[in-house]
Amino acid sequence: MDKVPVRRKRQPAPEPAAAPTDYRSALLLGSVFVIATCGLIYELIAGTLASYLLGDSVMQFSTIIGAYLFSMGIGSWLSRYLGGSLLRWFIRLEILVGLVGGFSAPLLFVLFEYAVSFRLILYALVGLTGVLVGLEIPLLMRILENRFEFKDLVSRVFTFDYIGALLASLVFPLVLVPQLGLIRTSLLCGALNVVVAGVALYRFPETRPFRRGLTGALVAALVALGVGFGYAERIQTYTEGMAFQDQVIYSKSTTYQRLVLTKNQRELRLFLNGNLQFSSLDEYRYHEALVHPAMQALPRARQVLVLGGGDGLAVRELLKYPQLQHIRLVDLDAGMTRLFQRNQMLRALNQSSLLHPKVEVINGDAYQWVRQDTTRYQCIVVDFPDPGNYSIGKLYSAAFYRELEKRLAPGGWVVVQSTSPYVARRSFWCVAHTLQAAGFTTLPYHCYVPSFGEWGFVLAGRNPHWRPDAGPLPAGLRYVTPATIRDMRFFPPDMSEIPTDINQLNNQALVRYFEDDWGPYVH
Amino acid sequence: MPTRRHFLQQAARGGAGLLLAPLAGLESCAPGTSRSHIRGSLHGANHATGHLLRNAAALPAPTATRTVEMLIVGGGVSGLAARRELERLGVPPQEILLVELDEQVGGNSRAGHNLVSAYPWGAHYLPVPDARNHALLAFLREADVITGTDAASGLPIYNEYYLCHDPEERLLLQGHWQSGLVPELGVPTPEKAQIARFFQLVEEMRRAVGSDGRDAFRIPVQEASHDARYRELDTLTFAQYLRHQGFTSPHLLWYLDYCCRDDYGATPAQVSAWAGLHYFAARKGQAHNATGADVLTWPQGNGFLVEQLRRQAASPIQPDTVAYALHATPTGLAADCYHVPTRQTTRVQARQVILSTPLFITERLLAGLPASAQRALPCHRAPWVVVNLTVEYLPQAPGQPLSWDNVLYGCASVGYVHANHQSLSLNADSPHVITWYLPLPAADPVAARRRAYQTSYDEWVRQALQELETAHPGITALVQRADVWVWGHGMVAPTPGFVSGPARQQAAQPWRNQLFLAHTDLSGISIFEEGFYQGLRAAYEAAAARHLTYFS
Repeated sequence: MDKVPVRRKRQPAPEPAAAPTDYRSALLLGSVFVIATCGLIYELIAGTLASYLLGDSVMQFSTIIGAYLFSMGIGSWLSRYLGGSLLRWFIRLEILVGLVGGFSAPLLFVLFEYAVSFRLILYALVGLTGVLVGLEIPLLMRILENRFEFKDLVSRVFTFDYIGALLASLVFPLVLVPQLGLIRTSLLCGALNVVVAGVALYRFPETRPFRRGLTGALVAALVALGVGFGYAERIQTYTEGMAFQDQVIYSKSTTYQRLVLTKNQRELRLFLNGNLQFSSLDEYRYHEALVHPAMQALPRARQVLVLGGGDGLAVRELLKYPQLQHIRLVDLDAGMTRLFQRNQMLRALNQSSLLHPKVEVINGDAYQWVRQDTTRYQCIVVDFPDPGNYSIGKLYSAAFYRELEKRLAPGGWVVVQSTSPYVARRSFWCVAHTLQAAGFTTLPYHCYVPSFGEWGFVLAGRNPHWRPDAGPLPAGLRYVTPATIRDMRFFPPDMSEIPTDINQLNNQALVRYFEDDWGPYVH
Repeated sequence: MPTRRHFLQQAARGGAGLLLAPLAGLESCAPGTSRSHIRGSLHGANHATGHLLRNAAALPAPTATRTVEMLIVGGGVSGLAARRELERLGVPPQEILLVELDEQVGGNSRAGHNLVSAYPWGAHYLPVPDARNHALLAFLREADVITGTDAASGLPIYNEYYLCHDPEERLLLQGHWQSGLVPELGVPTPEKAQIARFFQLVEEMRRAVGSDGRDAFRIPVQEASHDARYRELDTLTFAQYLRHQGFTSPHLLWYLDYCCRDDYGATPAQVSAWAGLHYFAARKGQAHNATGADVLTWPQGNGFLVEQLRRQAASPIQPDTVAYALHATPTGLAADCYHVPTRQTTRVQARQVILSTPLFITERLLAGLPASAQRALPCHRAPWVVVNLTVEYLPQAPGQPLSWDNVLYGCASVGYVHANHQSLSLNADSPHVITWYLPLPAADPVAARRRAYQTSYDEWVRQALQELETAHPGITALVQRADVWVWGHGMVAPTPGFVSGPARQQAAQPWRNQLFLAHTDLSGISIFEEGFYQGLRAAYEAAAARHLTYFS
């Protein structure tokens, strides 16, 4: 490699050979301002993310700020071990802060799904950022120590530091988060730190010996942050943040659907393709109503099949029956079941039901599975998405229910989530009538789930003998009691039975009802 | 001048080409175009095998003989139905032999498959049949297509997995997919009135009964009325009839043109008015869980029914075999059968022969028999091209979602069917196979056929994609594979006089209790029910004649 002659050919750049002291100091004090702003923003990002992702914002903000400040203390203490060219250390440090701080938000969003212990990663990242940020100010003060009197130095550095903090605390909630979102804000601050490194690198003549080496790192860091900025859309689409009422904390397109988790102070919500699947606040009503009327009638049940329900919440309710030996859950979407098996917050919600030794999770097409299955189940819980398209409509057809009937042990019960009998009255009764057409005796019932509204279920069995108090209900239920079950069976006139067609594969009557019933609410 | 040797080599290639197509010799689209990534097979080269018959003298003389009681030539629907029916009538399976030109049976109902789906190469559905068609219903029962009978109504219950799932049909009109194929979207009121009047007329025809007490329109056509009032409709073209009746709506005329091309491979100006109305008025299906408007379909189309027909009988089937000459012998008939892979000719002696071949083949086979055996029934038959496209997914225009039958208004093709339609999987984003049908109706079918055989693989794919791009922008880049079949001879078109004329009846007559004929050409309407009916008729005639010769 013939590098030297190339260098010689270059025109010697006019160096600011003797940069005036105030110019040099002004630059460094400007840096204080920028790094202080960015430093506080990293802290705010971590706090916001922690309260979005883990809930309980007072606790999260408090512990994040504590951990961050403590880490800054460690950084300040560590600064004493830095020697040699302090400016070189400072530039290295800025690039590093830019990368670690800049990527903190995207990293946390991405890891939220996969991390076994998200909290650990969160605090590790907060700690690392804190240490790096903590190094900055002491280092700068040492760089500036011979240029000012000590009282001036302290006064000026901390003035800029605190002004920067004020700016950050105003710009973050008012401009940055609404305009850019968390991920881009984080990446932008990272880039600002790198720019500070760049200014220092090119404005100070004494950096010349190490300018080449650091230029590469600097450019690479800027490119990485830029690429991250470009991909931020994919990690968290801004429009999605607008479409959902609350902060989107996780979104992912699996092979089959788009999963979006949102969170506010009180609740966690899961949306599948934009449709609310549950709210952590009242999902117990839905899942207790789904599972217990059938299960309390089956004190000798051993085998249960759950179709759909990849969130594991119906399984959580089923696990309250110690007599069950085996629960088989068939859900198409491995992305969904994996999320509910791994994510800490979601596991807290389903009580790690999908990891229970009695539970078998199968990712496959429910229709295909049921047709080739040979097991007989005492209870089959059908928790499919609403019949909003023709593919799902097939899973509500008489033909499908006849296949279910073959899988049902004598005396067993099938329960089907059947959309809202209030909003989609025809759809609901169409499900009930289709189950009847497939040879079942049906027991329709409904309950009020605040986040959904009135919601309906159909219990279906071969014989008409069913009692709302056949066996003991598990302890600790918050909604279902024998009295609730009796109440749920009553349909007021505005939801009472109406004649409908039978949903068959060759007429898909239900999908048409469903479109008509929900249409006015959606459009 | 083709030598005999060259000719045989060509024939062997024709036969073997089909077998090897999935392994080698993949066709590809023109380089430098947006479709240059597309590969696939080009079928229909078996015309090389078929065309051996044109120069039968060049085929080798028989080197072996074989004797059977009954020989069936042709393994399409009618041949397979005859084979099955003969066994049901008590003929022992070992006394029957069926020879088939192609490497697999099925004729126009053949099917193919790849990793994504099975798909049809031709006929792809059966309308819910007339409940009076007992023989057909018995077959469907045995095939589990009918699963029971409703006690109250006595009507058959069809297997829901085989009844075409909803949504069944859609039409791309003015950039929007509307439900159903009869144009509605943006059609002016006067045109709508004409359309309503047409369907009212059809409904009257559907209910009409002739002076002989038979339905004016019925499947099989043999059961339809001979009342001159309705038979007169067979003397003019459908286009003339529509003009006389004052039907001028462009949307209605497009729709009827589409229907004729779809069912007959011919235009309303080519088919008779009787046939044009038959398409609508003969659908009299009844079922407990479906209506006459419903159809039965499978991913592999009527390849499913062919397989059921094949399975419901045990007698041997010999594929890759060209029967090229029939001779009268003292004990019956003999057919010289050339086996393409071994290049050997065997003389098969049979007491009785059922020819379930299209009439242009039948004519050649009968050439060696006395004049009394000859039949003159010229058929008009157009070539067809079928393109099976395997696509990653289908970008959709607004309106009704992807359906079973998808038709584009005003296009040369008759649209495409979605092979995965009956799938019960939720995985809508996985690849699909769609089967695109292009009839090539022409005044001169011979020239159209020649042109079709000369057209390249790339050109067929280009035509299909050019049309489909209008409905599914960006589809070209999503095509994973395109397989093309050129049907040189397509199916019979019921031109004026064909169905009601005496020639058709005469052509179906047996000869000397030895030779029987079965093919949809003898009905004039190329549909599964007619093929099935023709096979049964020939089997009854043959069995009756056999009875006669044995016991008299």
